[in-house]
Amino acid sequence: MKKIYISLIISFIATIPLRAQSLTQLEGSFKTGPAIILIATLVTFVLVGIFFRAKDPADYYAAGRKISKVGSGMAIASNWMSAASFLGMAGMMYGFGYNGLAYVVGWTGGYVLLLILMAAQIRKYGKFTAADFIGDRYYSRDLRIVSAIFTILISFAYCVGQFGGIGLMFKWILGFDYTWSVIIGSSVVLLYTLISGMIGATKNMQIQYVIIVVSFLIPIFIMAFKFDYFWLIPQVGYGAAVSDVVRGIPAPNISDGVALLNAYGHDFSIVPSPEFAMPWDPSTGTSFFQWVAICFSLMVGTAGLPHVIQRFYVVPKVTDARWSVVWGLFFICLVYWTAPAYSTFGKLLSSNPDVGVLAKDAIVVYTAQLGGVNSLVVGLLAAGAISAAFSTVAGLLVAGASAFSHDLYVKVFNPGATPKTQLGIARIGTIIMALAVTIVALLKLGLIAQLVSVAFSMAACTIFPLFLLGIWWSGSNRAGAKAGLFAGILVTIVSLTYFIVGQSGGRLPGQEFISYWLNVWYFAWIGAPLAVIVNIIVSKFTTPTPLEIKKFLAEQVHN
Amino acid sequence: MESSDNYNFSLFKPRNLHGRKNRNVIFSMLLIWAVAVFGFQFLLRGIQKPTPEKTLADFETLWPQAISKDLISTDYKTLLNSLIQVKGKNTVKPVDQKILNEAISCITFTVIPDSIKSFILDGISNINAMKERISEVKDQEFLDLKASILEAEKIISLKAAPYNGFADRSLEEKIFLGSLQEVYPGSLSDNSFVRLPEIMKLYLTHNQSVLTDTTFLGFPFHYFYTAVFLLILFVCLCIIYNILIEWRLRKEGIVE
Repeated sequence: MKKIYISLIISFIATIPLRAQSLTQLEGSFKTGPAIILIATLVTFVLVGIFFRAKDPADYYAAGRKISKVGSGMAIASNWMSAASFLGMAGMMYGFGYNGLAYVVGWTGGYVLLLILMAAQIRKYGKFTAADFIGDRYYSRDLRIVSAIFTILISFAYCVGQFGGIGLMFKWILGFDYTWSVIIGSSVVLLYTLISGMIGATKNMQIQYVIIVVSFLIPIFIMAFKFDYFWLIPQVGYGAAVSDVVRGIPAPNISDGVALLNAYGHDFSIVPSPEFAMPWDPSTGTSFFQWVAICFSLMVGTAGLPHVIQRFYVVPKVTDARWSVVWGLFFICLVYWTAPAYSTFGKLLSSNPDVGVLAKDAIVVYTAQLGGVNSLVVGLLAAGAISAAFSTVAGLLVAGASAFSHDLYVKVFNPGATPKTQLGIARIGTIIMALAVTIVALLKLGLIAQLVSVAFSMAACTIFPLFLLGIWWSGSNRAGAKAGLFAGILVTIVSLTYFIVGQSGGRLPGQEFISYWLNVWYFAWIGAPLAVIVNIIVSKFTTPTPLEIKKFLAEQVHN
Repeated sequence: MESSDNYNFSLFKPRNLHGRKNRNVIFSMLLIWAVAVFGFQFLLRGIQKPTPEKTLADFETLWPQAISKDLISTDYKTLLNSLIQVKGKNTVKPVDQKILNEAISCITFTVIPDSIKSFILDGISNINAMKERISEVKDQEFLDLKASILEAEKIISLKAAPYNGFADRSLEEKIFLGSLQEVYPGSLSDNSFVRLPEIMKLYLTHNQSVLTDTTFLGFPFHYFYTAVFLLILFVCLCIIYNILIEWRLRKEGIVE
């Protein structure tokens, strides 16, 4: 073991001269130091995956219910903080100013809904997957099948953005083109998910969380210190930087007799740019309605995401389910308080025209690089971004595979399947899904955060209303659930159809109207309430919920 | 016989006292949550006013005079500066950047004598050629080429400084150099002529109010509220909810 450590240290020292050269360009060259950090991180993940590998279906699906509340909170945070949180959010704020904050608020505020409306009740209901709950609560095999399919589709849509983020970071580190980077990254994440299952993934998620937080926070402390902001709490200290962006900083910017420069030697200065912070600025092409619609869709979607809901099955007790949300949210907020700081420093550091146009989704890494942060620390940041994407993808692939194997294959097609067969089917499902996601990720259909928000809107229109009414209204019956689900699916299909036609250069009647009011990034603002209303109306006029379901809900779920 | 109605319940109509107390906690939390998140944004939207940057007033005053070629030297500098302030924003769309480049070149070459004009045009052409090459080279060659570009830019800046008024090493000077076109367009195209005032208005007008103009811990207040405070509030709401629920469960002797 000592030999391994020594050889790693020697490798780092040997790369120091090379690292000086990597800074001459933001992209396009192989970065040795970051590559070593990335490989070491990935090897750790695979080893942990092997060490804590799933031995039976219960382990694979729900980690054998052996996870503590803090551990589960870390896993929730790690599972949650994807490439969209790590890379995408700062990219949205960098590109669209205040509207990017709708993602910050939407992706955290949803946890309040999740806690007060879902977490403990889901755990009390005592099922393994979202489709399990829906099939049982609405006493319907059809609903089980449809919700399992939507679980797969939601996980699929969510994964597309993640694979895009993995591709961007592999591209930055290895210097390969985007296509090869996505293919390599996808292969590695698939390999480790197959080896580990959820119990390995849960352990990995705890390690990944530490890597994510440490790698995300260190560069911001360094930059806040370097550019003379309050660095002890940079999550608050960057406030002065936001005001500087709004007012502008003339060049040269001198502090203590020394000019503040970025890694290119450009002055740390900017022309007045109020559009960065002012609400729904016209020049960013965003509106108040979009802010509210995105925020609402993300919040409601959070409470309907199968892979998030599934995490509440892995805690031993009901109280743990509640506290794991609190821990999870706190751990998430540590990163979310910091993300806007990256976009702010990114704005300041990239204001010189010589920097050129930067890819929004990689702005976190570019900011650290332009801020003159040591390339090893930037490498750690990139490894953190990959960890974020990996941890989420692992959870999503497991959720998708669970739906495929447990909810479709075992419960519908082959109830007598042995545990070994179940595990085999889960792994085949994982492989098929990963391959399909890789192909779609290569199409580059949008920014990471936008791609991920499609999954949230889908979840908000389909899964969320079934859970909300299924838990909180005994009158919601099978017919109502089917009608509500149909309404949610209809809105989803309309929005996706217009998006796909628009992307392929075509036009449908009312293209602009639908693209704005029912945009694919936030169609849940209308889809989710509509699904709830339809469910209620149809339930009122059809055969009531059976007695045993009502009794179970009243006595077991609501004490 | 057991009636189905005995087990009817909803969030609004709980079955017992425990349920009603739970409902009240949930509704209180939801109300605070909704007002804090969406109420604030509606307030922000309600009191906002489209507020122009000072630069827009400069542009709108001088632009009609520029059209009638009725400007003195300092006015040209002010007008040029207003265009540079917009060009320097990195939210400007490429199509709008092109129009701004055209306008900046037109105004600059209108005031610069012919002898210097041809020198600057040649210099810009040379710099653009070097910039095209720079993405293909690495390491020492990259550094050498970068130094050559800086040197060429410095010479042009010195020549143009008396006419544009930009200080040495200022960001405006850098944006100015990046905006100059290789070929003097003579005058603005009809499309650019119409679009330029619209572009200036779009990028220099912002939704502001007392909530955006007040600073708190260095932040514009609304930004602090949304990016920092709301997240703190969410965590606090979750903690309070858990404490309340568990306190009540203990008090009522309910074991989950």
